Amino acid sequence: MTQQKRSRVREYLSGMARPLGETALAIAIGLVGGAVIMLIWKYDPLHAYIALFKGAFGGVDEIASTLSMATPLILTALTFLIGVKAGLFIIGAEGQVYLGTVGAVAASLFVLPPGVHLLVALLFSMVVGALWSLPVAILKVTRGVHEVISCIMMNWIAVWLTRYMVNYPLVDPARSEKTITVAPTSRFPILIPRTELTLAIAVSIVAAIVIYYFLWHTSLGYQFRAVGLNPEASRYAGINQLRIIILSLVMGGMTAGLAGATQVVGRPPTWALYGTLANIMNLGFNGLAVAMIGRTHPIGSIFAAIFFGGLYTGARQMQVPGPSPSLPYIEQLGEVVRGTAGAGVTIELIGAVQGVIVLAVAVPGALDMLRKYLRRRRGR
Amino acid sequence: MSFVAQAITLATSSLHAMVPLSLTATGETFNEKAGSFNIGLEGTLLLSAFTAVIGAEATGSYFGGLIVGMLTGMLISLVFAVIAIYWKGDQMIIGIGVNLFALGFVAFGLIAVWKTPGHHGLANWYPPRIPTPIGALSPLVPFAVVMAIITYLLVNKTVFGLRVKASGENPESVDVAGLSVERIRLVSALFGGALAGIAGAYLSIDWLSFVTKEISAGRGFISLACVVFSGLDPLLAFGGAFLFGFSEAFAIFLASMPGGPPIPYFFVYMIPYIVSLVVVTGVIGRRRFPAALGTPYRRE
Amino acid sequence: MEAASAVAMKGIEKIYPDGTQALRGVDFFLEKGQIHGLLGENGAGKTTLAKILSGLLPLTAGEIHLNGRRVRFAGPWEALRKGIGMVHQHFALVRPLTAIQNILLGQEGGGPLSRLEVKDAEKQVTEIMKQSGLNVPLDVRVELLPIGVQQRVEILKLLYRRAAILILDEPTSALTPVEVDALFEMLRQFKREGKTVVFITHKLREVMDITDKITVLRQGKVAGVLSTAEATPEKLAELMVGMKSLPAETRSEKPFGKTVLSVDGLRVRNDIGGFAAKDLTFQVRSGEIFGIAGVEGNGQTELMQALAGVRKIDKGKVTIDGKDTAGLGPRELFKMGLAFVPEDRRRLGLVMDFSVAENSILGMEDERKYLGRLRQLLWGKIFEYTRRLIQRFGILTPSETTPAKYLSGGNQQKLVVGRELNKEPSILLVAQPTRGLDVAATHFIRDLLIKMRDEGKAILLVSADLDEVMQISDTIAVIYQGTFMRVAPARELDRRTIGLLMGGVMPT
Repeated sequence: MTQQKRSRVREYLSGMARPLGETALAIAIGLVGGAVIMLIWKYDPLHAYIALFKGAFGGVDEIASTLSMATPLILTALTFLIGVKAGLFIIGAEGQVYLGTVGAVAASLFVLPPGVHLLVALLFSMVVGALWSLPVAILKVTRGVHEVISCIMMNWIAVWLTRYMVNYPLVDPARSEKTITVAPTSRFPILIPRTELTLAIAVSIVAAIVIYYFLWHTSLGYQFRAVGLNPEASRYAGINQLRIIILSLVMGGMTAGLAGATQVVGRPPTWALYGTLANIMNLGFNGLAVAMIGRTHPIGSIFAAIFFGGLYTGARQMQVPGPSPSLPYIEQLGEVVRGTAGAGVTIELIGAVQGVIVLAVAVPGALDMLRKYLRRRRGR
Repeated sequence: MSFVAQAITLATSSLHAMVPLSLTATGETFNEKAGSFNIGLEGTLLLSAFTAVIGAEATGSYFGGLIVGMLTGMLISLVFAVIAIYWKGDQMIIGIGVNLFALGFVAFGLIAVWKTPGHHGLANWYPPRIPTPIGALSPLVPFAVVMAIITYLLVNKTVFGLRVKASGENPESVDVAGLSVERIRLVSALFGGALAGIAGAYLSIDWLSFVTKEISAGRGFISLACVVFSGLDPLLAFGGAFLFGFSEAFAIFLASMPGGPPIPYFFVYMIPYIVSLVVVTGVIGRRRFPAALGTPYRRE
Repeated sequence: MEAASAVAMKGIEKIYPDGTQALRGVDFFLEKGQIHGLLGENGAGKTTLAKILSGLLPLTAGEIHLNGRRVRFAGPWEALRKGIGMVHQHFALVRPLTAIQNILLGQEGGGPLSRLEVKDAEKQVTEIMKQSGLNVPLDVRVELLPIGVQQRVEILKLLYRRAAILILDEPTSALTPVEVDALFEMLRQFKREGKTVVFITHKLREVMDITDKITVLRQGKVAGVLSTAEATPEKLAELMVGMKSLPAETRSEKPFGKTVLSVDGLRVRNDIGGFAAKDLTFQVRSGEIFGIAGVEGNGQTELMQALAGVRKIDKGKVTIDGKDTAGLGPRELFKMGLAFVPEDRRRLGLVMDFSVAENSILGMEDERKYLGRLRQLLWGKIFEYTRRLIQRFGILTPSETTPAKYLSGGNQQKLVVGRELNKEPSILLVAQPTRGLDVAATHFIRDLLIKMRDEGKAILLVSADLDEVMQISDTIAVIYQGTFMRVAPARELDRRTIGLLMGGVMPT
């Protein structure tokens, strides 16, 4: 019995080697792409990537920031991958996050004891997120509307609806550029003082584990995967495809809403939503990239989210002006490594790097192609 | 303003708003007829808008900008074609990758080139206008109409159109007939990319005369909605684009009414997206799409 | 002998990219003006050989000589230019386009941007149609044409491009006996015109009927070449499968038990608005194999779908053990004792990317016996159950966690059949159970069905393989255009009668 288990574990691990290799290759391609872009505009990629790494993992505070950035990304990645497992292409996390945030802020309009208040805020965000996914679900199931289109429309409607909510009903009367600060009773406890890291990260990781368990260890999760891989055979087996579609959308909506909540009740020092929506923008779309890098697997997404969290946190250090070009190069590097200089590259570059990574992920068998190419060159 | 003047303004705005949607949708119907599904249109619009401004400022000419935009669109389609058509990659993921890349690259580029974080206006910029009874129109308005008609003729009346239709329905039949499925899909993709590139250029150097990092505003996806709603008929897609263009113009019209819009302007801006949703919902169902849409072709 | 050959293929070997060796040194000689049969069972390599000859597949080793000169084809169009064309088993037609558009594709006469001119081509094609006796409405969309007519469009494509050597792959698989006769007439006409035909089939009687010479392939090698005059079905069968005779038919001697499945006045719609099954009435009793014979496309598929709960019943009543099944879905029907082996195991019976274990519980994943206290899947138990299934049905697989797509067709089918039988059904629906399987697997499945029948199960069998139906059924119904032409005990029906009924002709 243990012999079989051991061989199964070995099979599992070797099965993971290839996707890991391909992911690593995709990331490498992305970083190279970013370097090319930087070189075009005469920035120094070496400075940038060293600063990036230092800013992401260089110290306890930095790691805390990285994890804090990763928190919502895990959740929005789950939204996408739950859809993928059920055979759908859900890109509506963006809008669901926005309204989930609104829900969490709205919970502060009530007075509740601590702990309970937090749970209520999370509950609100999940419910609102799920509600926002319902139109997509209903349209898909009743009229066959492609989810890509309906999700985008719902995203844009959410943008304007959220902006309205932030500027009128939920606005902070003292400072109109943001909403009311969420009540202290509804906040996550801070894990490391003076950082942005709260217990919200635990919620994200737990959610990922729950989804993993759901998909591979429950019959409903089994049905999700069957429908995603072969809807016809699932129908013949008596699985209700429509039910699965609606459930996957609702579950995705819940995790997205939760992601939104983590940005207000889990994010010091602001504990509120900006009128420009800056602190929740692009969480949905970045979640897509995270899920793809994480091979649409809940546990993989945790690691991918930490990677992306690192990218975005590190980018802050990357933005710091670079060392003086008059210094010898070794000393320039030294300054960057110490942290007294960055690279002067704006954070937006990370978005471009992210795009290239996703494109690289889209190439099937990139690893094989590379191997064949190297073999051919060696054979010459 | 008198009622007639208001109506004219609305008509002109609608036509102008229609142009990027129509061009993109027309190009994409051709692309989808051949079997490729490109959700990276949004990113294409954004990138082309950005590069068109660079081109326009570098050459000092409107057409310079248009050409640069068009070439950008074609370049993106080339990347799409290589990964999706030749390397058989997942078309949806590629589209998302293009969109993500565009978001980052354009925002980065705005800072790298003009040191401005969000918005760059073109100085002393007067795009050409054709005087008509209903106001001064951009030359791309009739161009969009003409392209819709040309695309319709291409698909239904030419030899290449026959091959495109066959590629989308049953690529094996094309292969057996001695034609290259990949090449046909590549040409269709380039065609779609060129039109989307022109549409993006139009946004920045013609209609708005500035470029921002969100200038596409979902228009790539609204074009997709047009394509879906039209069942890949270029003329119907054009009609859809006009409808959406009108809803966008109407929203702007409401928002800029003297005394403020009747409802908070946030809700006014939702109108084009709600209209898209309603139209796509109401019309879908009777449409038939090419059987091989979205699937790469592998010989046996 | 070789000098007179129009086509000589020597030492042909073919290894697919995934490692399977389809052909191991095959020699094939084709004479001009000959109808040459290429005979073999599923997987013998006939289609592969044909695809190599027609340029669709590259060969791994060997040579092709055409009229004495060596040729190499980079693709099917090169073969066509030399006069060799193939009609595939599953037509390469573009369904929403018209017949003439399909015929023209790739040969439209003009550059890509030129106007699509149909008139001249239509004239030419009409000439060809007159000459060959083929008739096709050129302006009709292919999807609206019956299969026999679609096949003619495919043939016209080749004739339009002046093919002198026509390869037909299993051309009669979807035709009624009447259409088969028309096809054979056409082939004889081609022969008179000096054209050469390669006729690929696994049907012994047909190949004896129409061909001049027969090459038999078995497991990628030539098992024998003989002129049709010297051939007998027994000799051919022996060459094909290496066995002396066709297995004896096995009828049940026991009387049937009670009625398990009762169908009364069943009417089922098809996908294009008409009726696939009209007013079907029959019963299947325990200990009985009820076989439905008929050419594909006469309503069997829709009938099975309706009985399995996947297609709505328009009118009529179906009961299992006396209980009405109206409106019930597959899962409820399973609880009532019904199991279904669908005709397309890859598309409908299995989830290819799932492991063997995951597939073994498809449809049963919410059964209490597999769930723990927290309603979690007990994989330990499921693996155990899978191992038992593997043993009982002889499924060859590296392990329970191997994805189903890596199993051979026969083992995949055993997995599906095993899973369904393990549901201990009282009524088993089974469609095309041995399609695409090799001899060993076919025998295994058929023996299994007979064993189940002897244990008292009720089995409803649908098969396009008439031999199969005749071999194992106790009762045979012949379906034609949605109605039963005749329902009778198997011993009362002979091959000729069934053949006529399948074609809609009442025997005299």
